[in-house]
Amino acid sequence: MTTKRLGFGDLLRAGGRAVSTYTGTLLAVFLVQTLIAMACMVAIFVVLAQAFSHLPMFDDAVDGDLIAIVYCVRWGKPSFLAVAGIALGGLLLWQLASWFLAGGVYGVLDQRPEGRRETARVFGAAGASTYLAYARLALCTLPGWLLVLFVLGVGLGAVAPGLDTALTLTQVLVPLLLAMLPAVLLTHLFWTVTEYARVELTLREHSHAPGVISTYLRTLVWVVRRPLTLLHGGFGWLAVLLVTIAYAYLAQGHPMYGPDGAVTLFLVRLGVSLLRMVIRFGVLGGQLELGRTRPHPPIVVTLDSKS
Amino acid sequence: MRSVVALAVLALTACGREAETPRVRPMPKLDGSPALRGGGPARSKRIANYKIEAALDPVKHQLTGTETLSWTNTGETAVDRLPFHLYLNAFKNESTLFMRTSGGDIRGAKASPDGWGWIQIERAQVAGADLTSKLVMPGTDHDETVVELPLAEPVAPGATVEVAFTFTAQLPEVFARTGYAGDFHLVGQWFPKIGVRVGPPGAERWECQPFHSHAEFFADFGTYDVTLTVPSTYVVAATGVLSAAKENTEASTRTYTYRAEDVHDFVWMADPFMEVMSGQAKLEDGTVEVRVLYRPEQKEYAKRHLDAAVGAITKFSAMFTPYPWPILTVVDPPVAAAASAGGMEYPTLVTTAGDTVFARPGMRLPEFVTVHEIGHNWFQGMLASNEPVEAWLDEGVNDWADAKVMAELYGPRSSGIDWMGWQADVVALRRALADDPGSLPSPIATAAASFVDFDAYAIATYESTSRALLTLENVVGSTRFAAAMKAYAKKFAFSHPTGRDLFDTLAKELDQDLSWFEEPVFHQVGGHRLAIRKAKCELAHAPRGVFGSGSGMTRVTAFEMQGFSCEVVITNTGTIHVPVEIELRFVDGGSQRVAWDDRGTTNWKRFLVQRSTPLAEIRIDPDNKLALDSPMQHHQRLEGDGDASLRAAAWFAAATQTLMQVIGL
Repeated sequence: MTTKRLGFGDLLRAGGRAVSTYTGTLLAVFLVQTLIAMACMVAIFVVLAQAFSHLPMFDDAVDGDLIAIVYCVRWGKPSFLAVAGIALGGLLLWQLASWFLAGGVYGVLDQRPEGRRETARVFGAAGASTYLAYARLALCTLPGWLLVLFVLGVGLGAVAPGLDTALTLTQVLVPLLLAMLPAVLLTHLFWTVTEYARVELTLREHSHAPGVISTYLRTLVWVVRRPLTLLHGGFGWLAVLLVTIAYAYLAQGHPMYGPDGAVTLFLVRLGVSLLRMVIRFGVLGGQLELGRTRPHPPIVVTLDSKS
Repeated sequence: MRSVVALAVLALTACGREAETPRVRPMPKLDGSPALRGGGPARSKRIANYKIEAALDPVKHQLTGTETLSWTNTGETAVDRLPFHLYLNAFKNESTLFMRTSGGDIRGAKASPDGWGWIQIERAQVAGADLTSKLVMPGTDHDETVVELPLAEPVAPGATVEVAFTFTAQLPEVFARTGYAGDFHLVGQWFPKIGVRVGPPGAERWECQPFHSHAEFFADFGTYDVTLTVPSTYVVAATGVLSAAKENTEASTRTYTYRAEDVHDFVWMADPFMEVMSGQAKLEDGTVEVRVLYRPEQKEYAKRHLDAAVGAITKFSAMFTPYPWPILTVVDPPVAAAASAGGMEYPTLVTTAGDTVFARPGMRLPEFVTVHEIGHNWFQGMLASNEPVEAWLDEGVNDWADAKVMAELYGPRSSGIDWMGWQADVVALRRALADDPGSLPSPIATAAASFVDFDAYAIATYESTSRALLTLENVVGSTRFAAAMKAYAKKFAFSHPTGRDLFDTLAKELDQDLSWFEEPVFHQVGGHRLAIRKAKCELAHAPRGVFGSGSGMTRVTAFEMQGFSCEVVITNTGTIHVPVEIELRFVDGGSQRVAWDDRGTTNWKRFLVQRSTPLAEIRIDPDNKLALDSPMQHHQRLEGDGDASLRAAAWFAAATQTLMQVIGL
C-alpha cells in the first residue's frame, strides 16, 4: 500500500503517463469500439438503402429538409425501428466487450509491461481473468441504477406540471436541471464506485480474491470518504462533455454535403471519438493510481479441517 | 448548499407563480364608434336580436341574468314552438351527449372531475305570459342542451315574437372553450340561444341539434345589447363595442354595456390580471382597432399575436370581403387555461393559444392559431354556415385561406417554421404530419356527429378540405380560383351558405362543371392513389427479320442502335382522378413532361418514350399540385443511389459510438 496521499494533480499526471506510455493499448481499445460502430454502420446502411435508395426524398431528408425528414420517418418507420435495434445491439455488444477491455486496460496499467508482445499478453490475461468478476459486478450495480431511475422519475414528476405551462427557457431548464441533479449526482457516484471496484478486483484478484459484493460495498464507503475520486471522475466526464459540445458547436452550419464531405465528416467524428477515448483512458490511469492507495481487503483463508 | 436550495425554491416558485393581487384599473374609455365600421345599414336580416343583463359572481363562477329575445319569422310557414340551445348543460354531468361522446377529453383538454357547468331557466315569458311550466326538453338520454318553448299562439310569417328569460348559469371549470380557470373567466355559449329555421320557403324546419362534442355552433344574425356587471378589479373584453360603463361604488362592481350588430353570437372574458396591447389594421375602406388581452408573463407572445392579427385582418379583408366591425379582440388565455379556452372563434372576439416555450420566435404556432381564429370571422362569422352539419365549410375553407395568409405574412417557404436554419411552409408541414385522408371511413361532407371519432372528423374537416381546395386551386389556376372564392364570400356574407352554394358559385365563376371533383373528393371515401407501376428502359434498335415479299423481300440482320426505348406505367387506384403531369428525367440531364388526364378513363396510363440515354428518374406531379396524396413515392429513381443512406448510416454510427463512450469502458 502506498503511503503517499495522492492529489488531483497526481491523478492527472498518472492519466497522462498512461496515455503516453500505452498509446498502442489505447488505440487498440478504440479500434475495437470503432469496429463495432462500423459494423453497426454497415448494417444500418443496408437497412436504409433497402428502403430509401430509390427515393430522392431521402436525399433531401439527409440534407436537412424538415418536411422530407418527417415524410421519411413516418413512411420508413419499420426501417428506423430496425436502425434503433441495430444501434441497441451495438451498444450491448460494446458493453459485453468493455468488461474485457476495461479489465485488460487496468491490468496493463497495473503491471506496466514493456514491449508490444508482453503488453498484449498482460492485456488479454487481465481481461480474461477479471471478465466474470466484472460481469458479477455489473449485476451488483443494478439496485443502484434502479435507485437512480427512481430518483429521476420522482424529480421529473415533481417538475413536469410546471413544464407544461413554461413560457421561457429559464422556466424549463432550471427546474429540469434541478430535478435531474440528484439523479445525475447519484449516477456519478455509482459509476465511480463501479470503476474503483473494478480497480480493486483487478489489483487484488490474485492476492486477496475479494468477493464482488463486499468489494462493491467497501468501495462505496471508500469513495464517499474520498471526494477526490468523484472530483477526478467528474472532471473526466466534464471534459468528455466539453469535447462533444465543442464538436456540435463547430459542426453547426457545416453540413458537409457530397461524398467528399461524408469522408471528411467521418474522419472528424472519428477524431472526436478518439479524443474522448483519450480522456477516458487518462481517467482510468488516474483511478488505478489512486486505487493502489486503498487499504487491502481482508484475505480469505480457507482451513482444511482434515489437515 | 444554501444558495442551491434558495435557487431551487426560487425556480420552483417561479414555475407555479400566481399573478399578483388584483387592483382596480382606470375605467376603460368607451369605444365611441358604431357597432358596424362606418355605420350604415344592416348587413344581415337580423332575425334574432338579444338584450341581456348579467352579473358575474367570480367566487361561485356563476352568472345571473335576464334575456329578452326578439325573433322574427322570416319563413313562409307559421311557427308554434321555439327551440333554444342551453349549451352549458353539456357540462352538467357525465350523461350528457357531449360528455358521452367526448369522454371528458376534447382536443387534448380534459374536463375537471368536479367543475360542472349548467344553465337553468327560472322563468320564460312570452308577451307577459309565464310559460316556464311549458318548457320541455326534447332530448333523450339525459341530454338537456336543447329546450323547447311551445307557444300559445303561432308566430305568423313576417311576425316578430318577444321572449323573456330569467336564468342562472354556472360556468364549468374551463373545458371545451368556456368556463373559468382561477380568476380567468371565458364566458361563451352562456345564454338561451334560439335555433335557426332552415329549408326552402314553405318547408322550413328548425335546426337546433343537441350539443355534440364534434360539433360547434349555428345561429342567426342579429343585434346584441348586453350589460355585464363584474367586480371593479376585472378587465372585460366582449363582442361588439363598449357603449356605456358605470361604476357601482357601493358594490365595488362595474357595469359595462356592449352593442354588437350583425353577429350571431356573443362572448365575453373577465379577468383581473389582463393587460391590453393594441394596434391598427389598415384596410382599403378604413381601419380596424386590434386588441390583444394577455397576462403580463405572456407579453412576448402577445406581441406576436398582435402582429399576426393585424396582418390577418388586412389579408383576409383583401382576399374576401372587408372586415365589417370596428374592433377585433384577441384574448390570449392564461397558459394553464389555454388548452381548454384557447383557439376559439366568436364574432369580433377570438381566443388564441400556442404560448409555450417551444414556440420560439420563428416557430409559428401562436401566429397560426391567431390567424386561424381570425379567419373564422369570415368563414363562419360572416359566412355563417351550419357547423354541426357542414363543419368543413368553415373549418376547412378557413384552413385553406389561412395557409394563403400565413404565406403572405411570413413567406411561402417559411410560413410554418423559420428557426435555427430549419424552414417549412405550413401546408407542407401539416400535410407531412397528417394521416392519409384517403384512409378515412367517412367523406368530407359528413355531419360532425356522424364521424367515427374525433380524429376522423378533424382530418376530414380541416386537413382534407383545405388540401382538396388547394388541389382544385392548383388545377384551375390560383388567380381564377381566388377570384371565385372572393365572389363566394361577397355573395354569401351575412347569410347561411351551404356546400352547394360554394360549389355552384365556383362552377359559375370558373365556368366549368366541377362535379368530377366535388363528388369523389367531398362525397366519397378514398383518395388519390398514384403510383409508378413500371419503369424500364431497353436498348432500341431497328427491327430485324424478313421484310417485304417476292423480289422485294429483304433480310435485316444488323443490330442498328437507336438509343433507348423506355416504358413507364402510372396507376391511380384511388377514387379521385385529377389531371396530372409526370416528369421523366434522363441520364443525360434532360427531362420531358407528359400529361395524364384519367378522368373517366382507365386507372392506368402507359408512356413510351424514345431517347438517346436511358431514364434516370420519374416524378409524378412535379409541381406538387395534388395535395391529397402523399408525395413520398411520387419521385423515384430507377437505379438506387446509396449515398444518402451511407451518410445517414455514418451519422447513426457516430451517435452509437458516442453512446458507447458513455455506457462502457
